[in-house]
Amino acid sequence: MHKYHKKSRLLNRRVVLLITMIIAAVYLVGVFIWGCCLSEDAYGINFNEKFLAPSPEHWFGTDNLGRDMFFRSIKGLSISMIIGLISVGISSVIAIVMGILSAVFGGWVDKVVNFAIDLCMGLPHLVLLILISFMMGKGVMGITIAAAVTHWPSMTRMIRQEVLQVRNSQYVLAAYKMGRSRWQVAVKHIIPHILPVYFIGATLLFPHCIMHESAVTFLGFGLPKELPAIGVILSEAMTHIVTGKWWLAVFPGLMLLIAVIFFDLIGEGLKNLLNPQTGNE
Amino acid sequence: MKKKILPIAMSALMVTGTIGLAGCSGGSADNGGETSAQTEAQSGSLKSSGEVTAYVGTDIFDNSMDPVKGFMCYAYPFVGNALLKMGTDYQYKGDLADSWEISADALTYTFKLKEGIKFSDGSDFTAEDVVFTYQQVKDNQANNENVDLTSLKSVQAKDDYTVEFTLNEAYSPFFDTVAMLQIVPSDAYDSTTFDTKPIGTGAYKVAEYSTNQQIILEANENCFSGKPSIEKVTLVYMDSDAAIAAANSGQIDVVMVSPNYADEKIAGMSVEKFTTMDVRHISLPVIPESTEKDAQGKDRKVGNNVTCDAAVREALSIGINRQNIINNSLNGIGKPAESFVNLSWSLDEKYEDGLVDNAKKILEDAGWTDSDGDGIVEKDGLKCEFDLIAPGNDTDRYNICVALAQEAKNFGIKINVSNLSWDEAGALTNTTPIIWGWGQYNPVLLDQLLGSEKFLTGDYNDVVGYKNPEVDKAIQDALRASSNEEAVKNWKAVQEKAEGDYPYLYIVNIEHSFFVNDNLDISPSTQIMHPHGHGAPVLCNLSDWSWK
Repeated sequence: MHKYHKKSRLLNRRVVLLITMIIAAVYLVGVFIWGCCLSEDAYGINFNEKFLAPSPEHWFGTDNLGRDMFFRSIKGLSISMIIGLISVGISSVIAIVMGILSAVFGGWVDKVVNFAIDLCMGLPHLVLLILISFMMGKGVMGITIAAAVTHWPSMTRMIRQEVLQVRNSQYVLAAYKMGRSRWQVAVKHIIPHILPVYFIGATLLFPHCIMHESAVTFLGFGLPKELPAIGVILSEAMTHIVTGKWWLAVFPGLMLLIAVIFFDLIGEGLKNLLNPQTGNE
Repeated sequence: MKKKILPIAMSALMVTGTIGLAGCSGGSADNGGETSAQTEAQSGSLKSSGEVTAYVGTDIFDNSMDPVKGFMCYAYPFVGNALLKMGTDYQYKGDLADSWEISADALTYTFKLKEGIKFSDGSDFTAEDVVFTYQQVKDNQANNENVDLTSLKSVQAKDDYTVEFTLNEAYSPFFDTVAMLQIVPSDAYDSTTFDTKPIGTGAYKVAEYSTNQQIILEANENCFSGKPSIEKVTLVYMDSDAAIAAANSGQIDVVMVSPNYADEKIAGMSVEKFTTMDVRHISLPVIPESTEKDAQGKDRKVGNNVTCDAAVREALSIGINRQNIINNSLNGIGKPAESFVNLSWSLDEKYEDGLVDNAKKILEDAGWTDSDGDGIVEKDGLKCEFDLIAPGNDTDRYNICVALAQEAKNFGIKINVSNLSWDEAGALTNTTPIIWGWGQYNPVLLDQLLGSEKFLTGDYNDVVGYKNPEVDKAIQDALRASSNEEAVKNWKAVQEKAEGDYPYLYIVNIEHSFFVNDNLDISPSTQIMHPHGHGAPVLCNLSDWSWK
């Protein structure tokens, strides 16, 4: 903190953080929107351009069917993001409902919720994902449901903890004494308090969902081969690596890696900004 | 909380980074990192005579090695021998049989056996073993869907070296069937042990069987045709890309490759391509969507509302350019096929294709027009669009389908290619077009593909729901024919009569490609025409292989 103060007043940690977050957000939103608007022809089949190495025409090269790997990666990443959005949305709603229920009602509700959390966390995550995705018939539906119903436990715990803390704080107890109903307390005091935790938690869930979707797809239990998903691209690339087509795996892999790191950066940044201790820098 | 980023980044690396690294190292064999295997590889190049390591696909590992359950029945056995074998001249010749006679009514087949032949366990081969083997298959027909002995009434040993088969009714493919069944020893046969350690009269015996790893074959000293030159053959199980990496590092002497890899350069190896009878074709259900009861009485969805229109099937058959498809998907390796090819009974049909305008016209005449300008034709609100399954882990088939979809677009038919496991595809065979690989010496497969009574009786049988009384009659005539000529004539008639209905869209007669060590002679002149078999048919003349 002090170091930055000496150097420049403008470039303190908060500003640097904001700038990184903006870059990350631009990359992610850019890829997302570009991917969604991309016409199918951009990453379509072109047998005249099989296995081209990276060049100004094809930044990431082309694959065995002559598909442009750059546009395929963009499209794939945006598909991953859509699946991530949906599954994070569902996961976080499950988490918030379960977390509040368990903290507010306590007793056997709390026990049941905790048991569900233990149950879900007790199994290796990837195995659970594969099982659920397979049961749900794989594809977009299967992998989205799998990601949605397996990413809530850690966040539920966090929210439960927060609610417990707030519930026992002086002002909430005072509000009860003044005759506020449980519902009023929940809406007026508890929910605003846990919202920052919720947003940070949801943002940090995002990279997990995307990674898991790609991993399960890579293993063949997720998205179908005809979708240009990163997992599909990477598993197809596996068969061509042996003949030296490195670009098929490296660039899409990097795209995914960067997206995951950026999401994490944003999540961590949000946490720093919203946390009272670091937020006032 | 910087530590959180680490596991995520690490897991991302696990998926991508390792691949990237492997990618950068290009052709070197980094899979597995088996140092012992590497050292073995180094010594491999100095291999003295007598040892060969081969990758011929994983089919051998996927099935039992027991001939009674159908192992290697398509004319390329190496552990056992059948009474007959296919020669390079397309004629059956005696293998364990010396001579044979067929009665005038084609109901009795008498085989005179060769004398002095021993099994690899040292026991004598006699008529009793033949009777035992046939009886085993007949009693356990459910375990063997390849060697069909339902027409066999009885088999008996006339003396130690004469066997007589009596049939229920004339059945012309019986001769082909005899060539498919290798004889097992009656004393030593055990249904369980033979799954991995069969005993036979062949040039090789199984010395070691490691499930989904490797099968080690050793030369059979007792072999009646002489001890083979290669003393030890190791068949390895691996992914096809790992096999190429292993070949690059000199660990493997024979590697089956997809045509798309045939242009690769591997030091000390060259590509050998073999003509086959193996075709890739697509089943196009000929009946409209409905529900029918299958052989077990269960309801099963059948038919496809788009492909049931004969015009759609015909347009596809003449509109696509098969050579284009082969160039695009198979690296130009393979020949266009419009029917089964390269067999005594096959039609070897050739007609002009790539006729886009004619295809458009056929569709238009049948009422399929593009009214909404999206490039896909419609009829009564139904888009001319269907799913096509490329099942299993077969990239070549997938690529053929993708290339086909591109061709079909030219005349307004939209094909959505999907990749499913064989299990998933199995449930959809009657409703959804699937790409198949077929090709065997026994013409009985025409009955399986086109015989109406076969519909809904098995996974591969008449999946399209084809029903044509004339074809059925020709099939019966062929099956009941008393001479080979008559049978062949009728089998051809079967194909000619079904041809105009286009129940199957034939695309390509593939070639089997292998990388072979330059010092190894796999005797191309004694290789028989390869049947369908995912690479394994190259073993058909294993006993003729030798180091130069």
